[in-house]
Amino acid sequence: MQSNPLLGRIAWNTLIALLYLFLLAPIIVVFIISFDTRQYLAFPPESFSFGSYVKVFQNVKFISAFWRSLVIGAIVGFVAVSAGMLLSLSLVRYQFRGKAAVGFLILAPFLVPHIVLAVGIMLVIAPLGLLDSYPGIVLAHLGITIPYTVRTITMSLMAVDTRVEEAALVHGASPRMVFWRITLPLVRPGLIAGGVIAFLISFDEATISLFIVSVKASTLPTEIYHYLEYSTDPQIAALSVILILISVAVVMMVEKLIGLRKAL
Amino acid sequence: MADHHVVIDNLVKTYPGAQKPSVDHVSFSLPRGEMLALLGPSGCGKTTILRMIAGLIAPTSGAIRLEGRDVSSIAVYKRNLGMVFQAYALFPHMTVAQNVSFGLEMRKVSRAEREERVRKALDLVKLTGLGDRKVNQLSGGQQQRAAIARSLVIEPELLLLDEPLSNLDAKLRDEMRDEIRDIQARTGVTAIFVTHDQDEALSMADRLAVMSAGRLEQVGTPREIFDRPQTEFVASFIGAGTFFEGRVAEPGLAVVEGLKPLRFVGEAPVGSMVKLMIRPHRLVLAGSSGLPNSFTGTVEHIVYRGQMLTLNVRCGGRLLQADLPTHAGVLPEKGSEVTLAVAPQDVTLVGQVAP
Amino acid sequence: MSAAALPAAGASSANASRGVLLMLLLPGLVALVITFLLPLIWLFRASFASSTMGAFSGGDWTVQSYSAVLFDPFYWRVAWNTLVLGFNVAIFAVILSYPIALFLVRTESRFRGVLTALAVAPLLTSSVVRTYGWMVILGDRGVINSTLQSLSLTGGVIRLTNNSFGATVALIEILMPYAILAMLSGFGRLNPQLEEAAAMLGANRVKVFTRIILPLSAPGVLTAALLVFVLAISSFVTPRLMGGGRVFVLGTEVFNEATVTLNWPLAAALSVMLLILFSSIILLYQRALRALET
Repeated sequence: MQSNPLLGRIAWNTLIALLYLFLLAPIIVVFIISFDTRQYLAFPPESFSFGSYVKVFQNVKFISAFWRSLVIGAIVGFVAVSAGMLLSLSLVRYQFRGKAAVGFLILAPFLVPHIVLAVGIMLVIAPLGLLDSYPGIVLAHLGITIPYTVRTITMSLMAVDTRVEEAALVHGASPRMVFWRITLPLVRPGLIAGGVIAFLISFDEATISLFIVSVKASTLPTEIYHYLEYSTDPQIAALSVILILISVAVVMMVEKLIGLRKAL
Repeated sequence: MADHHVVIDNLVKTYPGAQKPSVDHVSFSLPRGEMLALLGPSGCGKTTILRMIAGLIAPTSGAIRLEGRDVSSIAVYKRNLGMVFQAYALFPHMTVAQNVSFGLEMRKVSRAEREERVRKALDLVKLTGLGDRKVNQLSGGQQQRAAIARSLVIEPELLLLDEPLSNLDAKLRDEMRDEIRDIQARTGVTAIFVTHDQDEALSMADRLAVMSAGRLEQVGTPREIFDRPQTEFVASFIGAGTFFEGRVAEPGLAVVEGLKPLRFVGEAPVGSMVKLMIRPHRLVLAGSSGLPNSFTGTVEHIVYRGQMLTLNVRCGGRLLQADLPTHAGVLPEKGSEVTLAVAPQDVTLVGQVAP
Repeated sequence: MSAAALPAAGASSANASRGVLLMLLLPGLVALVITFLLPLIWLFRASFASSTMGAFSGGDWTVQSYSAVLFDPFYWRVAWNTLVLGFNVAIFAVILSYPIALFLVRTESRFRGVLTALAVAPLLTSSVVRTYGWMVILGDRGVINSTLQSLSLTGGVIRLTNNSFGATVALIEILMPYAILAMLSGFGRLNPQLEEAAAMLGANRVKVFTRIILPLSAPGVLTAALLVFVLAISSFVTPRLMGGGRVFVLGTEVFNEATVTLNWPLAAALSVMLLILFSSIILLYQRALRALET
């Protein structure tokens, strides 16, 4: 509406800017304080240095947790994408009895609080001796990531015009060739987006992980959590910045591939 | 022109950062009770003009006068105009009656009067008894009618319609075209509508304003626009035709390369280059090739269209299009030689060519 | 996978072989059953078991965990704290998110994509990291306290962390992206043409807001409020870290019983009660949504 008084517009834009500032405040502050040199949490920083970063890289506990998180995230991403691709194919291309039930089961983990799931998973894998193990934490993360991979892959799959596949069949491609040469390349954005989201959820997840792992399979977020219970020094800020940068990379990738809003 | 109901005076709209104005010094006017069509290809600025009249965007310069009063600085919600949006913009959370009643509520009309006027408006657009329906329970044509009722119930000073028929299928479109014309005639409301469809414009409007690239090309009655296009754009945008370039040898006579001299009606200085146009249906079969304004050539292509036969005749290196009535006796065949003739008043001067 | 038999063209989907379908479904379904369905069943079973340290015996059925919770005033206080936290977080997160969502839906800025990503991207940064950010901001020597002190506005330190205030503020911010996302999807019926139409019919800016924008965005707002509420009442990382062990909500108690006290049946019983609370809120929400739509 052009009848906007200029003043109202400025007030509105200021409000939006302030709300954004609130939303991004913790990330901004963590970034600033990661360059502080002191041993304790205080603001504003006294001087500028990369000391905290150096300390993080020398901290064996954090570094090994970082690698573990990376490996766990990668495995979770791969398995969730594979299972998600198969589930999406069955949901998009098949009619079968119980389809609605399967669809509900896939979406249901969105509807159950993580902490409840965490207790349940803990109870299931404890008797199997999988607490604080790689298989245990991977399994725990699969339930909450598969819904995301199914969502992104289903979206990509539904956008594929089946006439393209028919055209390939008519022109002599076997169903196997059609799958590998036509369908799979066409849904690749959804596969990659689903994979990196699954990776990131696993990489950042703290709630469920805290119930499942303690020492041997501890992930980076659980290490940070336990560290924060006793100390809040800028080392954590440096570590957080690294985590944030990984998130930013993933966000940009997903945004480019299929649009962030659709994926979440 | 000054006493006309709606006067658009030197309207300009330049969007921030744009190189060229979207609307470039456009002026036209409209008497009370008439319907004007803003016609042009997409992006020509016609919708921008409509939205400026509505008050939804502010003009860069120029005036919009209703009854001689400049309204261009009045806020949109105080202008008292009706508008039918392209996709109707019916409020999805209200019933049909609530939609129609909305403008009256804003004007603080009493409840009893509101109900009465809503009922009348729904009767007018033949939606009697459908007031309690939800908007999404209406068909496309019914939504259109509801949108018209909503904009007319407030007794607007002017009714604006943005591509009113574009969201309807072909059959409904013909029906709504007559319907809108009928409603407008019965209510006597002055109306402006935007369209890119020349048939729609010619059949519905009392007056056409043809636009191209932000500029007004010509304003006139449908007949004037079709028969006496003043610019090459108008001539080519509305209806088909064959164009010629020629040099004026004497008043009303142009020499066209490869053809006999053409007699035409219109003022052009001797020695200047002019652009001429002949409508296909103005050409007739001629007995002999000796007549003035006649063309002799070979039939290259024939399309039979029931009442009409469309010929493409190769003549002096160019293709001439002619529509002949199929009852015109012996019809030419492909490859045969024909002679076509045209009256001087049907050779239209559509512009001068810069030397 | 047996790609040869994949339903490549979708043309024969009706009579596609059952075997292929089974193979497509099996891996994912097995994973979901193990990591989702089974845990919920186990949880339910465990909540009726007698407590043993770090395990539960499958033999007997008892309601001792439930009675332990229901007859202990401490848990009633915990439940009350959880609800208060949930309501406060939901209300403020929705109020603060609404302008952003509205702005993102209506803006014609060419930075719209970037701004949208910026608003929802915090979802993908670890909540532990963002909680830490709030510890930095609200801590005794944090951004707010040091700013206030350097302006000599306050004598001493204002306690903003290690209490429920800090937990509430941090949760509001951490859950705002969910609210924004829910609103963006719920604002589908908002459309600038409707606002224009209302303005043409004589509605001023206030009327356009109250009569058009607000009713059309109400379902999205309701969904956002529900989402934030359920996420807030089941959170524990943020209340634990921001509360410094002094904030007791259902989430922190579940974690405590499961990993510190190792009373798993009690943890399970608390979880089941949280789930019941959760489900009843969702049912209420569906009622409210239906009421809004008629």
